[in-house]
Amino acid sequence: MSARSVVVLLVAMALAACQPPESQTPAAASFDQQRMATWSRSCGLCHARGEGGAPVLGDLAAWAPRIAQGEDVLLQHTIEGLNNMPPLGYCMSCESEDLLWMIRFMVDSVQPAQGVDS
Amino acid sequence: MNGLNRRRFLAGTMLSGFFGSSMPALGRTASLPWRNWSGGVVAHPRGRFVPDDEAHLAAFLGDSSGAIRPVGSGHSFAPLVPTEGHIVVLDHMRGLIDHDPDKLTATFAAGTTLAETGPELERIGQAMYNLPDIDRQTLAGATATATHGTGADFGCLSSYITGMRLVNARGEIIDVDAEADAELFAAARVSMGALGIITRITMQNRTPYRLLQRSWVDKVEDLLEQFDDLTAQYRHFELFPYVHSNYAIALATEETDQPTHNPPPAPDDDAAFVGLIQQLSAVPPEHRLPILDEIAAASEPSERADVSYRILANVRNVRFNEMEYSVPAEAGAECLREILRTIIEKRIDVVFPLEYRYVRGDDTWLSMSSGEETHAAISIHRAAQYDYRAYFDLIEPIFWKYGGRPHWGKIHSLGAAELSSLYPRFGDFQKLRAEMDPKGRLLNDHLRRVFGVSA
Repeated sequence: MSARSVVVLLVAMALAACQPPESQTPAAASFDQQRMATWSRSCGLCHARGEGGAPVLGDLAAWAPRIAQGEDVLLQHTIEGLNNMPPLGYCMSCESEDLLWMIRFMVDSVQPAQGVDS
Repeated sequence: MNGLNRRRFLAGTMLSGFFGSSMPALGRTASLPWRNWSGGVVAHPRGRFVPDDEAHLAAFLGDSSGAIRPVGSGHSFAPLVPTEGHIVVLDHMRGLIDHDPDKLTATFAAGTTLAETGPELERIGQAMYNLPDIDRQTLAGATATATHGTGADFGCLSSYITGMRLVNARGEIIDVDAEADAELFAAARVSMGALGIITRITMQNRTPYRLLQRSWVDKVEDLLEQFDDLTAQYRHFELFPYVHSNYAIALATEETDQPTHNPPPAPDDDAAFVGLIQQLSAVPPEHRLPILDEIAAASEPSERADVSYRILANVRNVRFNEMEYSVPAEAGAECLREILRTIIEKRIDVVFPLEYRYVRGDDTWLSMSSGEETHAAISIHRAAQYDYRAYFDLIEPIFWKYGGRPHWGKIHSLGAAELSSLYPRFGDFQKLRAEMDPKGRLLNDHLRRVFGVSA
């Protein structure tokens, strides 16, 4: 299994683990779990499989030139939309700090030693 | 140009109010502007409110007094969302709530996207009768704007609603169906969020099915001559007429037992096609016809098969803005011809193909296919990075000439005076809206123009 496949598999497992039990309302889940769920229904729509040319989670070659632009540029592109990526990356409820968390999550997918900054 | 087929062309082309002091601290203060999918509509809401459930939303509406606009996935090109008040995001109100295996109905939370409904319905032995071309809209947003798929035997999504729940501007939760209140039911299924915020929707479905979709390229005049026959022959049939060309892509879909063969377009092919589109864009419009016709004539047919929801909806790889009107079916071909002719005569610099299809009439008050007759829906597009206004302004009067009704989620310039002559029940909707929301909390500038309400 390739490194990218491992990362994608781990993320899928993490997403499955993030699903709150039926008796637990979304409000009762931790905020990070909410952000993870938000990622899967917004950024993840394209970044999980590369739709529309989106860099896939864990694909270092695709992410490297993006990472080189710096976090501020990535955030600005996410807020305003860029090429095929819609503004706010399909997250209608997100504020800057939410988008930044999700950008860091994806950046960290190619820098596994750093983990996810919460 | 070998290897150019409809899927690649489509994928590739789609490549080239203030709150009073009583406002509770429920909404999140918005620091970011909101933009729709194309980026063409921008709003600066006071805050974003993300209710956990209907009770949470009802308390918010009941305890506050400012402007509210619901937002789905932001796929409307019309400015339905912009507000100085709060936008309401139904991100936490998603998923299947209930289903009836005998009646084949399913109730979804209104924030569920159409894409999410496919696998959920398959799991319970159901499938939607039809889907629009893009499936990332929420169920609430798609039905509120009478979003539709293709086919003379299929109405818009709203026509499959058997019941719904909304929270009105006073925070009252109301269940709506034909038995409880037929008039409210006819109005609320296509209401643009102006009667209340829809929280759950029950859809009439059918058993799961598979589809085989074939596409080929032929001369647009030949296809228009056969259009009614092909529409009768296939479950779904539509055209994507090239602009500055004599050709169109035909897309025919029928039920099948064939196993899945539905590979995604190869990235290299997509890249080659994007290059082609970019090169084409550099050619002056008046010189494109022979080039495009040669490319079109060499296009290869293609086909794919899969479960229904993976065939009916497509990935759109390029963001665009869109205008869509419906005209009576018998006027559709002539309207389309006049648009194509005008694009050539006026040398409009556009590459995006048009879309032409039939939609069955329905019994809602404000659907663009409202009434008994079948309508032809015609769409024009322009890539999001280009200013669409001159193009759309030139074409829109052609739609009016043929009695066109605008798609509520797409760009149009009509106001209440014009709209009241297009929809027999428009006046009834205006009265009902005023009764449901007398203070106009659920309106914005665009909807005040649409419904003829002064600020």
